[in-house]
Amino acid sequence: MKTKKISIWMIVAAVALMLAAPGSSTAGEVYKTALSLAITGPTSDAGNPYSKGAEDYFRYVNDMKLLGDDTIECTIRDDKYETAITKRNFEEFLDMGIVFYLNYSTGSTLALKRDFDEVKMPTLPASFHAGNIEGSDYIFLPIASYSAQNIGLAEYVVDHHEGGTPKVAMYVHPSAFGREPVKDIEKAIEAGLDIELVETVEHGQDLDVTAMIQRWRSKGVAYVISQTVQSPVATMLKGAKNMDLVAKHFGEKGKMTFLGAHYTGGNDLIALAGDAAENFFWTTSYIVTSEPGAGAEAQLALAQRYGRDEKTANSHNYANGIMVAQVTTEVIRRAKAKGKPVNKENLYQELLEMNGMNAFYPVTTVGPVTYSKDDHQGVDTLQLYVVDDGEFRAEGKPFISEYAEKIK
Amino acid sequence: MMSANRWMATGNYFTTYRQEQRIFATHVDRLIFALFLVVLFSWPYFIELSTKYMLVIDNILIAVIAVYGLNLITGFAGQISVGHAAFMGVGAYTVASVAGVIGDRHVLITHAWPLMILLSGFMGAAMGLIVGLPALRLRHLYLLMATLSFQLIFQWVIGSMEFFNQGQFMYVGRVHWFSGQVSRSQHYMFWYYALLVTVVVCGLGFRNILRTRYGRSLVAVRDNDRAADAMGMHPGFTKVFAFGLAGFFAGIAGALQAYLNRGAGFETFTLHESIQYLAMTIVGGLGQLTGCIFGPAAIRLLDLQVESLARWAGEILPSSLDLATGLRPLSFGLVIVLFLIFEPRGIANWWRIMRSYVKLWPFRY
Repeated sequence: MKTKKISIWMIVAAVALMLAAPGSSTAGEVYKTALSLAITGPTSDAGNPYSKGAEDYFRYVNDMKLLGDDTIECTIRDDKYETAITKRNFEEFLDMGIVFYLNYSTGSTLALKRDFDEVKMPTLPASFHAGNIEGSDYIFLPIASYSAQNIGLAEYVVDHHEGGTPKVAMYVHPSAFGREPVKDIEKAIEAGLDIELVETVEHGQDLDVTAMIQRWRSKGVAYVISQTVQSPVATMLKGAKNMDLVAKHFGEKGKMTFLGAHYTGGNDLIALAGDAAENFFWTTSYIVTSEPGAGAEAQLALAQRYGRDEKTANSHNYANGIMVAQVTTEVIRRAKAKGKPVNKENLYQELLEMNGMNAFYPVTTVGPVTYSKDDHQGVDTLQLYVVDDGEFRAEGKPFISEYAEKIK
Repeated sequence: MMSANRWMATGNYFTTYRQEQRIFATHVDRLIFALFLVVLFSWPYFIELSTKYMLVIDNILIAVIAVYGLNLITGFAGQISVGHAAFMGVGAYTVASVAGVIGDRHVLITHAWPLMILLSGFMGAAMGLIVGLPALRLRHLYLLMATLSFQLIFQWVIGSMEFFNQGQFMYVGRVHWFSGQVSRSQHYMFWYYALLVTVVVCGLGFRNILRTRYGRSLVAVRDNDRAADAMGMHPGFTKVFAFGLAGFFAGIAGALQAYLNRGAGFETFTLHESIQYLAMTIVGGLGQLTGCIFGPAAIRLLDLQVESLARWAGEILPSSLDLATGLRPLSFGLVIVLFLIFEPRGIANWWRIMRSYVKLWPFRY
């Protein structure tokens, strides 16, 4: 009888322990964040490594207990680059109770801008379109806008061109993403930027650009600034190479020097364009793994830790994804350190205070992340890279676009 | 003779055309329809659905209105159109561009929204009449090319003109109801009811059009335009009329889409969307009113399922394969092909068979 009684008590104790166990293992809080992006469909070549970067960094934060017992739960959903799906995803995330949101495309960021403001959701998109932050309190660009990048490239042309006013053509995506920076370059020219914008071409899906390049040559174009994605740039570079018009060094007389903003470059461009990508000048605020440094080492180590392939590990969009996850983690960490509840209001406040002595230095970018009430562009610093022997190499020191500030 | 008992009729016995043209053949049909409406209007009081699924339902209802138009033109008038999303875009951009000019919080946008929706319908109809003009001369593939041209011209105009913000999102303010401004938390539920009313009114309008001589002439021209011509109908004008009607429904749907999304963006009205609406029409059932409801529901829900499948595939398959990207168009194309081969009359035919079975029960179908 006594043995039976003991057995019953042991069972009761075991059940109680089992019930208590999950509680003790998840003693910390879970902070919910979410990311909606194109893992499949158009632009998934960028979205795929981006999602892996964010996913890996959040896993790292949880595995290494960077927030103590607290963890970040980031729900990642594929929106196939469709605004309707992004909207649906965002509504689902709101129901889940997220405190921070990561978005992706220009179209969906603009379409949901008012929603972000209404629900007071701090949001970091992957799109660096300057229009995203116009009239919005809650959208923050991770790095300098496309406009700042393009103007920065134009400034570099002005500074390094020899003899007279440089003749520049722009090769842009047929959308607001491509067109907006052109308007800002025109504003910069009005403000004194000494370039002659000869022509702006909105590309289609042509596989032959011979006529366009011939036309540019006849007009004396020496520099081509691209604001689009990699594949049309690769087509253009191949066409120019076939015509032996790609400059072998910056500003080579009688040839064209090709330059481009964030989404035109990276290893995917080299893979697509091959030799034709040599001497292509590219700007972004992210580090690249072909340039040794702490950021490159950290990026490669993270990719290796979570078993990512070489292509993903070396992608600048992987760095892009890591960076937005780093900013998310940092604002959570700061809110926690101040003893504030981790909610969207406090995380928003932490973003606004991320400047001056409180600037954030992630190793994945070439400069600090700074935000304030009036500054919603994270990393203002840009780095110019040039393709040399099949790899992007840093060209000069990081810089900040002067005219981008002037035309604000 | 018409069945003596209009509650228990098991077959269709008509002695006059008037009887045949009845919207509801039996009182049971009418009762079931009324009960169905009661369920549709009352379920939100009993079941709490997440915002995500409310949005899905709202989008299905918008697609139902759009497919009314496409089914009229394709299923009933026998014409083909691959520019239906552009007609919707005309409706959406009517609201959005008025909002752009007078301000998106102007009383005309926020309070007189039913009028704006109606105006968008008429704009869609006007555009439909213009695009339908080639139908006076063109048939089959050539007409398809004309509608395709309209779709591409629409995309180019919206994407290029500053007036339309070069395809970037144009905002539309929140609407007001008797209780004041519809808040964010009420938004999707409010539009569910507004859409439901529109679906019912448009559906009854659709059914009534088909009972008129104009509606019957659509079917006559579809079946044999020379015979219709010989009987005094004008095949060309009938086709143009069909395009006008389709444009009207699409315009209404587009305006509702703009209000639901609180603005209009270029990517909602692309050729891809036009193909989707065509698929909804085929899968639902060409020339069937019920098909206009089944088609959008089936395709939108299939989309959701494929999304989950793609997510799962993306997790387990190597990213270099990128099979998940192809899964959606593959499943979409497969469904259309399978329906065309095995059930060209669409889901509406299953509904017809089921109804006949129930009607004849306990006798065998």
